[in-house]
Amino acid sequence: MFRNVYWKTLYDQRRGLGAWSIAIFVLVGLESALWPSIRNMPDLKDLYAKMPEELGKLFDLDAMSTGPGFLNAELFTLMLPVLFLVYGIGHGARSLAGEEEDGTLDLLLVMPITGARIVLQKALALLTCVVTLGVTLFVATTTMSLIFDVGISAGQAASGSLAMVLLGSEYGALALAAGAVLGRRSLATGIASAAAAGAYVLYAAGLMIESVEPWRPLSPFDQALTGGPLGAGLPAAYLWLVGGAVLLTLIAMPALDGRDIAAHN
Amino acid sequence: MDTAIRTRELSKQFRSHAALRRLNLEVPRGSVFGYLGPNGAGKTTTIRILAGLISPTTGGAEVLGFDVVDRCEEVQRRIGYLPGEFAAYPDLSGAQYLRYMAYLRGGVDWSEVERLAKRFDLDLAKRFKTLSHGNKQKIGIIQAFMHRPDLLILDEPTSGLDPLMQREFLALLRETRDDGRTVFLSSHILSDVEAVADTVAILRSGELVVTKSVDELRERALRRLELTFAGPAPIEVLRQADGVQEITVDGDTAHVEVAGSTASLLQAAAPHQIVNVVSHEVDLEAIFLDYYTARS
Ligand SMILES: Nc1ncnc2c1ncn2[C@@H]1O[C@H](COP(=O)(O)OP(=O)(O)O)[C@@H](O)[C@H]1O
Ligand SMILES: [Mg+2]
Repeated sequence: MFRNVYWKTLYDQRRGLGAWSIAIFVLVGLESALWPSIRNMPDLKDLYAKMPEELGKLFDLDAMSTGPGFLNAELFTLMLPVLFLVYGIGHGARSLAGEEEDGTLDLLLVMPITGARIVLQKALALLTCVVTLGVTLFVATTTMSLIFDVGISAGQAASGSLAMVLLGSEYGALALAAGAVLGRRSLATGIASAAAAGAYVLYAAGLMIESVEPWRPLSPFDQALTGGPLGAGLPAAYLWLVGGAVLLTLIAMPALDGRDIAAHN
Repeated sequence: MDTAIRTRELSKQFRSHAALRRLNLEVPRGSVFGYLGPNGAGKTTTIRILAGLISPTTGGAEVLGFDVVDRCEEVQRRIGYLPGEFAAYPDLSGAQYLRYMAYLRGGVDWSEVERLAKRFDLDLAKRFKTLSHGNKQKIGIIQAFMHRPDLLILDEPTSGLDPLMQREFLALLRETRDDGRTVFLSSHILSDVEAVADTVAILRSGELVVTKSVDELRERALRRLELTFAGPAPIEVLRQADGVQEITVDGDTAHVEVAGSTASLLQAAAPHQIVNVVSHEVDLEAIFLDYYTARS
């Protein structure tokens, strides 16, 4: 487990990942358990019709009469993205800036391996952790769908989980890169959170305000959530998220070798 | 190549603050070199440049013949480094942490780790966060020594060690030197390194004040002697002797301060029926303070 920076980082995450996985399972389970009673509500359509039109667009309420639509609205367009962002940003900021503030980065950097390799292994460990949560989400969604007859296919669950993984990875990579460049964990968390909040506002405004609509595809939230995310298939927009995360990692890689590392005190 | 560390006009600027000013330092191989100076003198800054953690503003440095900026990896492969504020991962045990460092380094003989742990009476199974300050420092020391590097760069290594362990540590430094390897260690207390250092450099406000062998320092040191005579002390005779700085008389006893050798003084005193001679320890700390405060 201590063979290199990658495995050591995974070892550090073992408990955290366990707790997050349980949280995801419970959340998906509770929400899915609601579905049978929601489906059987006779005046569901009327209820949705009374809601403001904009809200309907944001949470895709029209589709709420189907199982995938219900979970999209209830979980996959806000709750789960927030969970994956919180995890990704927290992990990303701790990755390098956290080690620098704790004074443990010094000794990694005086080892005869380059800073770029340390950053790369940290980024891969982040990706592995977010993918682990994504797999958990996939398993939770498919099993709960079977138990409560939500009617979500494996393919639909896969695209939904993938969208969450991509969102978490992109903003996690942003936090990691900001931490690599700036060396401060709180700053890295702040920058990534602010960027995510801004992107969500752009996405939401794009749905509700016509003049903002053309800009909406620029938001990673739009790239991840449009057309689903449960049942979105494999939209080309996902490539933007992949590209973003890769680009941020490439920016972060030379950062440690190129700047002074703060002394611990 | 008999220089372990050489800096050329090495300077480091933190915004408007000059932490190091045109430092020219030469550390011979196979020696223990004490790098002394009060807090804020620039010791840690120098050491972090040598270890490749920060880069010089101007000037440069070579470690074991490799430039610290351009050939950073080569330098890092060959040094052992102990930071001023050593920190490991709180939840890992000593053994887990040292395994991790050993894997990252490559080519560490684990029996060396066990040997050092035993020598310093350290339980490697305990988690880092449960260790006392002194025991944490021992993990840092083992980490620096475990691959038997050619050069050790240690930032205030004796801080937190109890006197017994401090002695063990100084013995380790001597063995390392006798092995032909080099130790560069910083301290703000001369007495911590005086017993082991061959050479000391004194740094003040980012400038090198003096580099001297400990023997040379000792020679220049002021010694205080108490000479008791059978009759009244022959003050005028004593005053003529080489190196005498100050004399005070207390009945038949003369208190004399001498710089350097006391031979001339004793020769002058010998014909005058000395009853007793008391020589006090050489006070290196005093010269050290002298250098600290000089020209300030
Ligand atoms: N990252 C930094 N930013 C600004 N000033 C610094 C920084 N690191 C050190 N200094 C300043 O440089 C001077 C030398 O510090 P340092 O090398 O740590 O001294 P020492 O180790 O001898 O106590 C001090 O005045 C310190 O405040
Ligand atoms: Mg210091």
